[in-house]
Amino acid sequence: MTLLDQHDAVGAPPASRRLPIVIRGGSGAHRALQVALVVVVALVLFAGASAEPFRVGQLTSVLIFAIAISGLNLATGYTGLLSIGHSAFFGLGAYTTGVLVVSYGAAPMSTIPVAVLLCFVLGFVVGLPALRIRGLYLAMVTLAVGVAFPEVVKRFEDATGGAAGLVIRSRHLAPPAWTGLTVGQRGLWLYWVSAVALLLVLLLIRNLTRSRAGIAMIATRDNEIAAAASGVRLATMKTGVFGLSGAVTGLAGSLFAMYVGALSPDGSFTLLKSIELITGLFVGGAATLLGPVIGALAVVYLPYFTSDLAAGHVSGVLFGVILIVIVFLMPEGVAGVAGRAVRRLVQISPATGDGPSASRAERATPPTRESEGDPR
Amino acid sequence: MDIFLERLFDGLTNGAVYAIMALALVVVFRSTGTINFAQGEMALFTTYIAWWLTTIGVPLWAGTVAAAGVGFLLGAVVERTLIRPVRRRSDMATLIVALGLFTAFNALAGLLWNSETKPMPSLFPSGLKDYLSVGGARLYIDALGVWLVVIALIGAVFLLFNRTRLGLHMRAVAGNPESAALSGVRTGRILMLGWGLAGIVGSLAGVLVTPLSPQQLSLQTMFPILIYASAAALFGGLDSPMGAVVGGLVIGVLEALITGYVEFIGGTLPQTAALVVIVLILLLRPTGLFGTRQMERL
Repeated sequence: MTLLDQHDAVGAPPASRRLPIVIRGGSGAHRALQVALVVVVALVLFAGASAEPFRVGQLTSVLIFAIAISGLNLATGYTGLLSIGHSAFFGLGAYTTGVLVVSYGAAPMSTIPVAVLLCFVLGFVVGLPALRIRGLYLAMVTLAVGVAFPEVVKRFEDATGGAAGLVIRSRHLAPPAWTGLTVGQRGLWLYWVSAVALLLVLLLIRNLTRSRAGIAMIATRDNEIAAAASGVRLATMKTGVFGLSGAVTGLAGSLFAMYVGALSPDGSFTLLKSIELITGLFVGGAATLLGPVIGALAVVYLPYFTSDLAAGHVSGVLFGVILIVIVFLMPEGVAGVAGRAVRRLVQISPATGDGPSASRAERATPPTRESEGDPR
Repeated sequence: MDIFLERLFDGLTNGAVYAIMALALVVVFRSTGTINFAQGEMALFTTYIAWWLTTIGVPLWAGTVAAAGVGFLLGAVVERTLIRPVRRRSDMATLIVALGLFTAFNALAGLLWNSETKPMPSLFPSGLKDYLSVGGARLYIDALGVWLVVIALIGAVFLLFNRTRLGLHMRAVAGNPESAALSGVRTGRILMLGWGLAGIVGSLAGVLVTPLSPQQLSLQTMFPILIYASAAALFGGLDSPMGAVVGGLVIGVLEALITGYVEFIGGTLPQTAALVVIVLILLLRPTGLFGTRQMERL
């Protein structure tokens, strides 16, 4: 790759058949590629929507998990703040929606902003200790939040239904009238809501990570001291990222509440959920845009395909082994490896830059770089 | 008064178990610089082995020795084959491997011995009548046994670190691996031994705790204990064995007393309460009570 780059940078006009094909940003070819991408995504989504209801439900959970893992990706992937407590954000989002719908009769969709806002606040508060505490000690703080959540839900039994759980009746979850969908088709409605939410989240993250703030996040991950010396405000950055990360995962939680319709504190909101999210993130590819989507596919379908064998234990063993194999063979995750392969074929150069080396600098650095101070 | 003493005894017994697990975590952290999240599940796996041996007629003490042996092998093999190749790369990679091991060992135990709860015999007399009366409170013999084992283990670890050549090498590798290697310490072998040692300590914790645990021996037995143990290790400072023991005992006692005396928290928020206290302490001392402060190299 570097050889090719140098070759290009010297100024030899890329011969028509040599790889990678460099497409200039903003050019006709680039536009066509973008349109093609939108068409492909739309086709995939429509194909998913026309599957049988059970499959649609499964795909909805993939979409929801992709949102949740994208949220985790912001803190852990891009900023290097390891969180083992994202199950709490997922749960807070879910319970906010659940409680508002059940106790106050709110329309499910109108609860989403509330859930997102609450999770942002919780994330901000969890981020506060990050100003003083680092690395594994910080992971400990998030661990505390993750452990605390199910217990707090059980404590405030009046609102949350406690250990017995909270059931949202399906008539509350009926799609709005303008969609023309019946109550029986609420799975389809939720599928589209989740799909749109995921696309918005991905767009947000794509733009964020290419902005000044995103570069500051990556700089903080790779070398905190150097980032601070270059003018990154670590305090604002870390608390803000935790807040945003929590808010995105909370959005997923809110959708999840509508998806399952029955919430219980020990079901989906324990630390094991956090571990599942982390697994998905690293299998898919940390600090990549599409990694969380691939991770969500793995998290949903791997246990499903292997669950016929011996009550899920085989899937557990397989899951663990795959996780380890991924770390050894492709530390950048599936999306990282795939992205590298694609860049070998096609590269998009920015409109003002002159060659693939410029476009490379804009991309996220390899994902698993961690530069916490060595404790020894 | 006697109720207070009983709660204190309960807390100390749980705390002693957290302390042993925390000790295992600290031994690994000192050699590898990461928390081994799989420590609890590896201990669970070896505890299942001990239980399985008792079902085919092997006495429990022999089963315990076997579990400790398997624990040593598991720890050493995992370090050599899975941890060492990735630990140079990043802390995050090591952590992910540990999470993978966590999932795999738990599921493997379920696969081999199914997920039903197993009654685990105790190493010590554990009948309802086997207690000493201390100031009107009951001190059960099996709790006392756990305390004694913990004291013996701490003594052994202390002697190992401070009085033997191996311990000296371990401290050297923890302090500065490059210098240790240059002085002729076989760093790799020391790391392997460190993980093996943690495996033994963890296995003992597993065999001791399961008869006392409300869950007995099931796939969920070790996870809460691991959470408390990592909290204990962090509370005391990840690189301090002394800190791990103090942390474990403090958490055990806090848990028992808070549950007993604070009305609002009652029986429902014990873990939360204990963890909140720890987070507050971390805010004051970001590297735990006994941990060494990290130096930043610019």
